[in-house]
Amino acid sequence: MQDYREFIDEVLVDASSIEKRVAELGAQISQDYAGEELLIVCMLRGGITFTADLTRFLTIPHTLDCMSLSSYGVGHYASSGNVRVNFDLMTNIEGRNVLLVEDIVDSGRTLAHVLQMLRTREPKSLKVCVLLDKKYRREVPVDVDYVGFDVPDKYVFGYGIDIDEHYRHLRFIASADLKKYKKEADLNKGLSEK
Amino acid sequence: MQDYKDIIAEILIDEKTLQKRVKELGAQISHDYDSQDLLLACVLRGGIVFMVDLMRHITVPHALDCMALTSYGVGARASTGNIRMSLDLQTNIENKNVLLVEDIVDSGYTLFHVIEMLQTRRPKSLKVCALLDKEERREISVPIHYRGFSIPNKFVFGYGLDLDEYYRNLPFVAVVDLEKYKPPA
Repeated sequence: MQDYREFIDEVLVDASSIEKRVAELGAQISQDYAGEELLIVCMLRGGITFTADLTRFLTIPHTLDCMSLSSYGVGHYASSGNVRVNFDLMTNIEGRNVLLVEDIVDSGRTLAHVLQMLRTREPKSLKVCVLLDKKYRREVPVDVDYVGFDVPDKYVFGYGIDIDEHYRHLRFIASADLKKYKKEADLNKGLSEK
Repeated sequence: MQDYKDIIAEILIDEKTLQKRVKELGAQISHDYDSQDLLLACVLRGGIVFMVDLMRHITVPHALDCMALTSYGVGARASTGNIRMSLDLQTNIENKNVLLVEDIVDSGYTLFHVIEMLQTRRPKSLKVCALLDKEERREISVPIHYRGFSIPNKFVFGYGLDLDEYYRNLPFVAVVDLEKYKPPA
């Protein structure tokens, strides 16, 4: 695996800014749901880091569940088609306050689909909290109730967001210079040729 | 839901001790897998908090995947019988170094079955990292390569571990006072 310093374009959000903003979001959510109970739904796998940190700042009673989604399509169609639920909620959300926690929203298609699907279960409320919002990429309107940061239309990684499954552990969010990034397969090829 | 302060018998492991130990485990793992690639397999949902903190201290290249397990049995059989993978790994682990990340090991049955099942996929290596080890409760022998803390046979919660689904977000591990705790209706 390449050292991220070799292909980093710029740090978009540094670690202390993330920490501060996540604390603010936690306080805001706790205030908005004061006197209520909340189900936090972590969208796997990108949302794990954000969820773990966000819940540390919640002062209201809450439970945690996870969902894993994939797309039926491939390539260009991947984010335009229906959404497949790989792993559904263990919790019955009927009559409950539900907050979806996502790492990033771009086209909004996946999110719009999952919201539609979950609404059929008649939750008391259904809101969305995303760490990063790539607004310029939006293709379908979708209500995002809590946003960590607006980010430009760049290839981002770190703080839960991967490039080819790596770099999720980084405490900051950076953009990648894809010209400098070497795909894992190429690196492996290089190794076996030695 | 009751305030956690009303149901705590004692704080078993405080935040500072936890964070220090998680950092040590991360350093140890980074050392042991030096110049190798690693897949962290988090067992949902209890293992999430531990894994997020742990991976921040892992300096070797690593990917992340999740598994969710449920039991086929009920009652006493639930903890000894076969397990159902309600969410399987997305990654093909053949020839990969895999580290299972668990919040707690008690009887060991679940872990035993997961290891058995994953071994059939021929990973390069398969190890276990558990934050808490309730050794007294062990009924079947399982390997734990990285252990956060050995703890007594008490009802614990916090730092990813729930009490009827609540309190996972507490930054410490505490023992419940079962005389004061009232489960939600």
